[in-house]
Amino acid sequence: MLFVSVSMFCAFLPAQALYRLSGRVLNSDAQALAGAVIALPSEGRYAGSDAQGLFSIDGLAKGVYPLQISLFGYAPLLDTLRIEGDLSYEARLSVLALSLQEVVVTDHYDELRKKKESLSIETLNADYLRQHRSGSLMKTLDRLPGVSSIDIGAGLSKPVIRGLAFNRVAVVENNIKHEAQEWGADHGLEIDQYAVDRVEVIKGPASLMYGSDAIGGVVDMKSESPPQDKTLGGSLELSAKSNNDFIGAFAALYARKNSFFANLRASLLNYGDYKVPTDSVDIYSYRAPLHERRLRNTAGKEHNLHLSFGVMGELFQSRFYVSSTNARAGFFANAHGLEPRNVDTRLHDASNRDIQDPRQNVSHLKLINTSHYRLGSMKFESNLGFQRNFRQEWSPYVSHGYMPALFPDSLSFPADLERQFDKTVVSGSLKFFYDDAEKLSIRLGLSGDYQKNRIDGRGFIIPAYRQVGFGTYGFAKYSLSENSLIQVGLRYDFSRIATRAYQDWFPSPVNTDGLTELRYLQRAQAIDRSFSNLSWSLGYNLNRERWSFKGNAGKSFRVPIAKELAANGVNYHHFSYEVGDAALSPEISYQLDGGVDYASKNLAIGLSPFLNYFSNYIYLNPTAEHDRQYGNGNQVYRYEQSRVLRYGGEMHAHYQLFKHLQLGIIAEYVYSEQLSGAKKGFTLPFSPPLSAIFNVKYRRAELACFEQFYFTLDLRMTAAQTLVVPPEEPTAAYQVVDVGLGGNLNWMKQKISFMLQLQNLFDKKYFNHTSYYRLINVPEPGRNLVLSISLPFAGKMK
Amino acid sequence: MSLGALFSGCRRIENIDKQKPVIALSIPGAFPRNCDTLYFGEPFDFIALFTDNVELGSLRAYSIDIHHNFDHHSHSTEQLSACSFDAAKQAKNAFLMIQDFSLASGLKEIRVQESVFIPSGNALGLFDEGDYHFFVSLTDKEGWSAKKGLSIKMMHRPKKP
Repeated sequence: MLFVSVSMFCAFLPAQALYRLSGRVLNSDAQALAGAVIALPSEGRYAGSDAQGLFSIDGLAKGVYPLQISLFGYAPLLDTLRIEGDLSYEARLSVLALSLQEVVVTDHYDELRKKKESLSIETLNADYLRQHRSGSLMKTLDRLPGVSSIDIGAGLSKPVIRGLAFNRVAVVENNIKHEAQEWGADHGLEIDQYAVDRVEVIKGPASLMYGSDAIGGVVDMKSESPPQDKTLGGSLELSAKSNNDFIGAFAALYARKNSFFANLRASLLNYGDYKVPTDSVDIYSYRAPLHERRLRNTAGKEHNLHLSFGVMGELFQSRFYVSSTNARAGFFANAHGLEPRNVDTRLHDASNRDIQDPRQNVSHLKLINTSHYRLGSMKFESNLGFQRNFRQEWSPYVSHGYMPALFPDSLSFPADLERQFDKTVVSGSLKFFYDDAEKLSIRLGLSGDYQKNRIDGRGFIIPAYRQVGFGTYGFAKYSLSENSLIQVGLRYDFSRIATRAYQDWFPSPVNTDGLTELRYLQRAQAIDRSFSNLSWSLGYNLNRERWSFKGNAGKSFRVPIAKELAANGVNYHHFSYEVGDAALSPEISYQLDGGVDYASKNLAIGLSPFLNYFSNYIYLNPTAEHDRQYGNGNQVYRYEQSRVLRYGGEMHAHYQLFKHLQLGIIAEYVYSEQLSGAKKGFTLPFSPPLSAIFNVKYRRAELACFEQFYFTLDLRMTAAQTLVVPPEEPTAAYQVVDVGLGGNLNWMKQKISFMLQLQNLFDKKYFNHTSYYRLINVPEPGRNLVLSISLPFAGKMK
Repeated sequence: MSLGALFSGCRRIENIDKQKPVIALSIPGAFPRNCDTLYFGEPFDFIALFTDNVELGSLRAYSIDIHHNFDHHSHSTEQLSACSFDAAKQAKNAFLMIQDFSLASGLKEIRVQESVFIPSGNALGLFDEGDYHFFVSLTDKEGWSAKKGLSIKMMHRPKKP
């Protein structure tokens, strides 16, 4: 059926002769090299060399193509091919010092990378990201074992790695840690998913390389490597989604002449209120009827611009990135935060594309330079970044607590500005690499950052603060034999945070000695604290033909954030009065990681268990008390520390049933328990339930007029989550089916790449335990048809 | 899936409280109920039944919050059928009360009867009449929380001729 309709479609396309590129990859001693990546970047075509060093790429039209061959530890080979018939090519690669940047990433590269790291790593390339593209980048990553996301509606989400999120997961883009207001459950991640070409997820404590916030893991994103010499090109992509009437346009241009290259990208997204498979939502037993099953006021728009340019020589490379992401998105109007609201339905239901209050406006500016210089088996690298994150949350003024019923006009901020955060960050690192290409590789690093956070608006939740941090580390890998290597790392960190005092802008009645007087209450005291810490890791890898084993033990840490130290006020999004503790100590985590992988021609299986212990996990504990001192009558939540034990793991199995048909299972599980403190015996908030994805993938290099054709079906099975902690509710089990297909075709001489997805095929109503709106019973988005068409183009320069 | 079976085998037997307390505002004699009227310058008795499966909170375990709803921002959590609202209006001198109350410790169930006085005005004059919210929040010892909200009217008692 699928084949018939695909073939019929092709009848409309002009026929074109296609050729085959085949060849061998050898080292300088003429020995076969397996696992090399042969790339035709202008076509987006990749192949890997097998154990004999052989490779082939089919379906190439007549033309001139830049060729790129790369292999971990070898100098990349660059050449230009003229295809006029079937072509045979022999490549010789020479050994090079360890360099990650220049290696084109595909599955084969990823496999090699995994074999050399003792922590559990998942890498994704641009193809994967496009095929599985969701409402946000983090939602796309959700499919990976051990990775999930905390979602706020259809377009905002943040990463969860093995159950840890917020400031426990570091997000890195182009070698610089992304800095924003990560602590907020209703804040998305200011990353443009159209500008990311490669994602590496480190599951487990990675403070060693990435610093404090990487205690739970890292999401490391990279942009495309520089284009080939004397090429220019780009692509145009259009994308549409049915569920929230999303339209997106994305354009990219690149060019390189001699050592100079530049890359420009722009994306423009616009979406309406998203649809849920329900007529009403129960918010604390208050039933909010929905208009046309749409979640009122969840529309949004985004415009993003990225410019990258630099010079690339044999020994020296320097690259600048300038990016600006700007988003404006509405919050579900019936529940601002988690508080039910009676809304002006006439206003909100008039259009499903308008963005009314409550809403957030977020812009993020980044300036980054990364440079490196090679000298024999050494490499020096420097990274420097400036970021400004500006976030505003708007909602109609409602007096809560003792805020005056009438907003005074004497204040410096408008009545409807609920919160504003303005954060500027300067950060950088210096790295030194040494690789003797045989046994030893060493990496030394220095990193530092300065942050300044200013606040404004009528609601107080975190204080203004300044923070400096400094870290230094050393990391070494040593090959004990051809198949095994040991890795050791040590890091020292120092950081200092100074938070400012905060006083209410409105008076509250205070009762002293039977007399009630009005006072401007001081919410937060100034705090000045310093922290230092030593972290370490020790790992071992053993690769035996089809088997590979890995083990890692490490100590990681995280410095308490301003909110944990100094919060003292009502979280109007959550009916809670949150109280920080200025005496909190840095979180310390000890983790054991294991990994077993088996790979044969038709079968790949992997298992990656972990065991993790926190001696003092920082946790916002809901107490039995209501706040009196500040007269707001909200339940008091206090930051406390407890011992926490967590274990779990991921497994995946992929089986090549027929030549073109692959079956796969991906499963993940995390168990967390607080061993001490007020919530002893309870789990941690937002614990992802046991889940598995059963996947069928049909792939053809050529199918009728299509190239790289694929069809994929995912059955997601998620168990119930009954392990909850106040104020969460248990979440029922669910099954959801997603299907997708795509490929490339040639229209005249133009390549057209397309992707079609049908998410939540049966329009199933289900709840996601890690969704922010779960607490107010908002189900996940209903059926969603996603279409994306991309037109790449490429040319040569003289 | 087998992974889960593997781990669930070593999961500790749990003996933790997983239930929220319950606020019953519909027991016989409960006050106020949805759409009831409270009068300024008078006390009223808040009457409700609080229960929990293990133990209710004690120190400041429940709070009552009365604030105006002139803009109809309603958090009515009690009844689906709305009361008749007055026309939306700007607050001039809206009444606001937020108060917390303690319960004796060790309770699983209690019918609370708490007398609460509502003043008729402040330095700015009489409080605004109209639509208000009456919001109750209750915790149990473990920190589980239940919330109920009512739409009420607050009026000045007409003076007898």
